Amino acid sequence: MTTIKEIKDQLSNKKISVQELYDEYYNKAKKSELNSFNQLLEPEYNKQNIINSQSRYNEKKDLPLDGIPLGIKDLFCTKGIPTTASSKILEKFIPQYESRVTQNLLNDGSIFLGKNNCDEFAMGSSNETSFYGPVINPWKNKNQINDHLVPGGSSGGSASAVAEKICVASIGTDTGGSIRQPASLCGVVGLKPTFGSCSRWGVVAFASSLDQAGPITNTVEDAAYLLNSVSSYDSNDSTSSNHKRDNFLGGIGRSFDRPITIGIPSDYLKDVSSEIIEQIENTKKHLTNLNINFVDVEFTTTDFALSTYYIIAPAEASSNLARYDGIRYGYRGKGDSLEEIYVNSRSEGFGEEVIRRILIGTYVLSAGYYDAYYRKAQRVRRLIKDDFQRVLKDVDFILTPTTPNEAFKIGEKLDPIAMYMNDIFTVPTSLAGLPAISLPSGLSKNNLPLGIQLIGNYFQEKNLLQIASLLEKEFVFNG
Amino acid sequence: MSDINIKKVSYLAKLALNDDKAALYEKSLSEIIEWVDNLKKIDTEGVKPLHNITEKNQNMRNDEVLKKNSTEEILSNAPEKAQNFFRVPKVVE
Repeated sequence: MTTIKEIKDQLSNKKISVQELYDEYYNKAKKSELNSFNQLLEPEYNKQNIINSQSRYNEKKDLPLDGIPLGIKDLFCTKGIPTTASSKILEKFIPQYESRVTQNLLNDGSIFLGKNNCDEFAMGSSNETSFYGPVINPWKNKNQINDHLVPGGSSGGSASAVAEKICVASIGTDTGGSIRQPASLCGVVGLKPTFGSCSRWGVVAFASSLDQAGPITNTVEDAAYLLNSVSSYDSNDSTSSNHKRDNFLGGIGRSFDRPITIGIPSDYLKDVSSEIIEQIENTKKHLTNLNINFVDVEFTTTDFALSTYYIIAPAEASSNLARYDGIRYGYRGKGDSLEEIYVNSRSEGFGEEVIRRILIGTYVLSAGYYDAYYRKAQRVRRLIKDDFQRVLKDVDFILTPTTPNEAFKIGEKLDPIAMYMNDIFTVPTSLAGLPAISLPSGLSKNNLPLGIQLIGNYFQEKNLLQIASLLEKEFVFNG
Repeated sequence: MSDINIKKVSYLAKLALNDDKAALYEKSLSEIIEWVDNLKKIDTEGVKPLHNITEKNQNMRNDEVLKKNSTEEILSNAPEKAQNFFRVPKVVE
């Protein structure tokens, strides 16, 4: 395994040049058949960045991510580079500005290989809603070796590309599990930071009270490298937090100098398979060796989280996606009046799942239903947040499975509700705005990756990455 | 069963659905609304709605005009334009 730190050492020691590193990843990405990139940038585009990066190494003035080839989920506006949100409606959209998150990554010297495929407008848990076709998981079910499996979603292209090692790391976004669930299904690390850590400026909006950018990487340390870059205050995002950021690399690999308690919510485990429970038991065993204590905890709101999410997220989405009207940018349908242009642009430009969510959102916000659904869901959201705060008074972290199942076959789950159930363990944390990380914890009987999720308190990403790095060392993972 | 009027909802969302699609979405929405209806079982009497986790520390900034984009840049993504404007069908009768 090659980590960012190892690559940077090789670049510093002149074992490899920035150009050679880039070519190695570019050529692998070019050959990949998993559809994990909507667009791979032409090498010409990166020429000057690579030269600049190399001269910084030559002068021993390298930046934190200098020369590191990254994938960027196609939901981040990248100046001069098409940004589609994997939707037909944005097929020809070329942003005139750079998102804060990607600007930070560029400022730290990283090189963008291209834009990762994702579910359309990040709405999906399998990457099958993309206008550019499904992404394939590099992992195979050993009992059904010919089947193409989903990588999870919505950051499925990011997770697949990182797992296939055609980019060193990728930046995704997570609204209800869109970083953690694909990371789990592809056997890589995925971190959703606290809401407010990373600016939403220039991120194509899905549900603005939930959307949060975060890294998908091969190691916990790599996630810390990326978080150091992307977590920053931005006055362009009114929900951006302006607290002083930790150095997230500070705790990596170090044991805690105080006793740590982890809560395991029994209500999360009542309906899951023995394979999934085994992941939790194994984690417990590994961490007990490190003098970490476990207690059972119980939430009272878990059964209501998905319902709350599937009211709030579509409601916010229906409002956010009202901007796609075919007038100022994006796809324009034919029409002799403004109304016809609006309707035709939207009806022809949006895919099936996006239309479904706009309709749900419009319904729950419409007169006569607003209080019963939207307002009610916002009240329950407060109870969910309070529930987490109650539990986190007594424990440092919460341990759960990331997903209820391993990667499934492309085309297998056709029912929307069955698909929504994929996020049953990730959605509660999103509603509470808490940071959570998914780590590969083992393999299923079908030889597919399974993951566990660790949840921390607000802005405790440094501690979360620290415990994850200790656990990562303990897992025997033959990936 | 819920009482979803899919034609009305799609009209509000500026989406056109043919009869087949309308039937499909009506069924799908009914199932989803029925599924989320379990929220009726949780008591939220006296609980304040939570709009955003950062409700207490939203940041304000001065509302200053920053000229970061040119008209040309903004219009470069327009599906149809004329001179310095977005072009649309005639609106005034």
